This record gives sequence, structure tokens and C-alpha cells, in this order.
Amino acid sequence: MTLSRMGLWTLLAIAFGFGIVNLTPSTALLSVFTQAVVFAIFALGVGVLLRQNGLVSFGHALFFGAAGYGMGVILALEAMPAEAAIAVVLLGIGAAAFLIGLVIVRVPGIAFGMLTLAIGQMVYLLATRARGLTGGSDGMSVNWPATLFGFSQSALLKPSTLFLIAWVLMVVVTLALTLILRTRFGSITEAIRDNEERARFIGITTTVPRAAVFALSAMVTAVAGLLSTLNSGFVSPENLHWSLSGITLVMVVVGGSKRLVGPLVGAMVYVIFKDLLGEHATYSMAPFGAALIAVIVFSPHGIVGLFEQLRNRLRHGPAAERKLP
Amino acid sequence: MLTINLFNGLVYGALLIIMSSGLALIYGLRRVVNFAHGALYMLGAYIGYSVATHSNFWVALLVAPLVMAVVGALLDRYGFRLLQDREPLNVMLVTFGLLLILEDLVVAIWGKANYSLFTPELLNFSINLAGHDLPAYRIGVIAVGAAVAVGLTLWLRLSRMGLFVRAASTDPITTSMQGVNTDRISAAVVGLGSALAGLAGVVAGPFLSLSPHMSSDVLIDSFVVVVIGGLGSLAGAFIAALLLGMMQAIGAVYLPEVSVLLPFVFMIAILIWKPSGLAGSRT
Repeated sequence: MTLSRMGLWTLLAIAFGFGIVNLTPSTALLSVFTQAVVFAIFALGVGVLLRQNGLVSFGHALFFGAAGYGMGVILALEAMPAEAAIAVVLLGIGAAAFLIGLVIVRVPGIAFGMLTLAIGQMVYLLATRARGLTGGSDGMSVNWPATLFGFSQSALLKPSTLFLIAWVLMVVVTLALTLILRTRFGSITEAIRDNEERARFIGITTTVPRAAVFALSAMVTAVAGLLSTLNSGFVSPENLHWSLSGITLVMVVVGGSKRLVGPLVGAMVYVIFKDLLGEHATYSMAPFGAALIAVIVFSPHGIVGLFEQLRNRLRHGPAAERKLP
Repeated sequence: MLTINLFNGLVYGALLIIMSSGLALIYGLRRVVNFAHGALYMLGAYIGYSVATHSNFWVALLVAPLVMAVVGALLDRYGFRLLQDREPLNVMLVTFGLLLILEDLVVAIWGKANYSLFTPELLNFSINLAGHDLPAYRIGVIAVGAAVAVGLTLWLRLSRMGLFVRAASTDPITTSMQGVNTDRISAAVVGLGSALAGLAGVVAGPFLSLSPHMSSDVLIDSFVVVVIGGLGSLAGAFIAALLLGMMQAIGAVYLPEVSVLLPFVFMIAILIWKPSGLAGSRT
């Protein structure tokens, strides 16, 4: 995709967000959409790791929850203005994830997933047991200041504003990731993902780029964590639990992990369907289990893969089905 | 205090042996990280509960694993066999989907209340050992764990079927070229692994309570055990299960604040030192 077309798509996507705000009839529905967008960013973080490193994380809720806790603690201590705190939290999580990544990306395959699960559960257990500052298993409220980036809190917390902030952030993060992955860094990580040994033979250091992708994916997820606490004003150990990581991974795979839009689509489909079902079904996880199995069995490249297949068939006829990379 | 904790550590280690040997067997043969194993454990416990309330514990101990064996064989025939050419991640997520479905199924049938299996009359007494009263039932759990470990090892090492299982775990294609029906072997092994999960569920019933969330903790601990031991390695899983049980027992005495973290710290340390696990040669 050329840069100008990318710019066009970005503008269209942002305009689409404004369209949603104006066409959505109720604020309750709009806050469901906001939640969907927050999860879309979360899933984007998990998805970029899978797409670029070929690694499955069962512990990304760690970064989602840590962003909320980090923000909550800094604001509670009144250590610095909220704007600086946001930067500190994002960079801190990025740096921490880079260091963790340097160690754990060398562990291959499933064991990597189990490591992320272990690290995530450790922090979860610490958070449930810690008293004092973080409130233990009760969670803690995040006291956002009266004004943030010059906007008053009441204006920011209007459902329509909140949705737009989340939506624009999602578009910007997606654009940023697309641009980053177009560079040499993107090709290097793809080479390492496809064959680490060969990549090393041609002189690429393989650990640092993968740790960088891990850090990048953690930061994207941290953005979602910050948005979530801005939305709810609250963070609890549930935000750190592995089941949240697992569900997000489901969103990524259902949406399709070969494209960056896959996780976005998966997350939105998930949250909106959960809301539709939530009122009727008490046991609402089984339909998702069934949907997950159906998507994986019938369309291994997810919803986005299915659409691409259909589009190619329409354009070129059934014979010219292009294989996804 | 320490003695009784070590004893309880041994009991939990035995339970982990029963759970994780099933996981390791299935991973060894099918290369599937089976999240549904936790659901089979839970299903086994609840079926055991229903059977035990209608007849007695010993019937439950027999029926629940048998039912799970059938479920496991079907899971292999209509699940893993059809998906064997798919990416491991995708198959793993299918089992995650199964876990979600089965957990809801349990809630739909038995509700959200907590249950507990009664300790069977026959073992409802204590044995005094070095000044401590040790419940006979828990000694029985240790015995079952030991029997599973010894039985599986002997079966794999000495029987003809065990030879086929080991061969198919090493190289399924060559094994089937030698005339071994690997599909039947797989169905048997996944059935056996699932039966062990059911057995673990019934055995755990009298000392861990039955709840819709019971699968999560034991499943994660079993994953930790299997990964520490080396994926697919039975001997590694046995050692890791005992280490984990003991570690939690000792941790509960000396480091009560962080004892729940110990398994994870242990796993991280092992994997950084040896990414393929204690006894693992493959990843």
C-alpha cells in the first residue's frame, strides 16, 4: 500500500469513527463500542506479537493491568502530573517488557506461552495479596485529575468523547505499527520469525529485534490498559488475570492473525456479540467456545482471511485463489 | 508443622502426577497442549460426585475415569485426528474453546454451588506416624499417584503397546509405515490421558472442593509441571510434580507470603536455564 493510500484510509477510518458517534442512538450502546475499541487495541498488542514474532502470549493481561495500576499508583502518590505519568507508564512498561523479552523470547514455541502465563499469574497473585497502595483483591480506583491535556474531566468522560479518543488512538496505533513494520525492522523480524537459524547465518542478531517486538506489543496493550482505566476509573486484579489474556488471544485468532486489522475485527465482534448475548444467556462463554472452534476449523486465517478469500474469488474467479502469506 | 506440610505437599504432588501424566502423554503423541484437560478433570470430579451420592465412592472411582476414557477417545477421533495437520496454536485454541464449553456445561448441569465428596468410610481414619495424625485417605492419594507413575512407566517400557506409543511419540510417520495403526494408538492414549484426568478429579473430590473454577488452578499447575519436566516427558513430569508439591509445602512454612509464587519462579528459572525442561530433548 502506498503512503498516500494509507493516509487516505486513516482519514476515512477517523471519519468513520465520527460517523459512529453521530449515528449511535444510545449512550449505553456507545459505551459498549468504546469497550470494543479498548479490547481492539489490547488484541492488536497480542496480535502484533503473534504476527511478527510467531509467539503466543498467554500473559498480556499483565501489561493491560500494569498500565492501570501504574497510573493509579502514580496518581495516588501525586508524584507528577497525569500527562507525564502516562508517558512514564508507557515507557516504563515498554522498557520492562524489553528486558523480560530479552530473556524469554529465546524460549521456543509453547514453552514461551507458558512462561508468559507464569509471569502474568505471578503479578496477578502479587496484586491480589498486596495490601495498602493497590487495595489487594478489591482493586483500586484511579483518580484522574480535573483536567487532562487541557480538557476538563467532565468533557473527557462524556461517552461520545471517550469513544472518539479510543477510536482515534486505535487508528493511530494501527497506522504507527503499519509504518514501523514496513521498515527494515519489520523485514528483519519477519526473517527471524520464519527461520531464526538462517537469519543468524546472514548476520542478523536475533534476540534484540524480537525483544523489541515484545516491548512494542506490550506498549500497545498498555495503551489499552490506560484507556480502560480512563473509562472505568478503576483497576482490579481481574485486569491481570490469565483468562483475560486467553480471551484476547481468542479475539486475535478469530479475527485473523496474518493482518493487523484481524485482531481489531476479532475484538469488536467478540465484545459486541458478548453484549448481545449477555442479557439472554447466563452461561455466555460456551457460544464463544463454539464460535472459536468453528472459526479455527473452517477458516484458519480468521474472519479477515475469510473476507480476503471471498474478495479474491470475486476479483479473479475461483481458480486464482491467492494464498495468504 | 513442617512434617504435616511435607505430607500435604506429597499429596498434592501425587495429584499433579495423575493430572500431568495425562497431559504429557497427549502432548507426546499428538503435540497438543490440551487446555480441555482441566475441563475433563472437573467433569470427572462432578460425575464422580453424582455417582458417589447415588451409590458409593468406589463405584465413582471406577465410573468417572471410564466415562472420561470414552470422551477422550472421541475427542481424539473427532478432534485431534481431524486437526493433526493444523498449526499447533490453532489446535491449542480449539482445546481452549472446548474448555469454555465444558465449564459452562458443568455449570448448566450441576449449578454454581460448591460441593464436596465425602471421604469413603473405609479410609475415614487416621494413622499416627511419628507423632502426627495422618488421614488415611490422603495416604491413599499418594498411593494412587505412585501406582499411576509406576504403572505407566512399566506399561510404556515393557508392553508391546507401550513400545508402539513410544515409537509413535518419536516419529508417527515412520511408525505407521512399519504397520502400526497410529490412529488407534492415539485414540487409546488420549483416552487413557483423559481417564487419568477423570481419576484425578474423583481423587481430589474429598480434599479439594468442587466448584466451576476448580479446573483453573490445577490446570495451570499441571502445565507448569509438564513444562518444567520437559514437554512430553513422563519421567520429567513425575519429578517436577513432586518438586512442585514439596516446594509449595515448604514455602507455606518458611515463605508464607510468596509461596503461591514459587511454582512460577521455579518454572521461569528452569526454562531460562534449560528451555526444553528438565528431561526434555525436544521443544
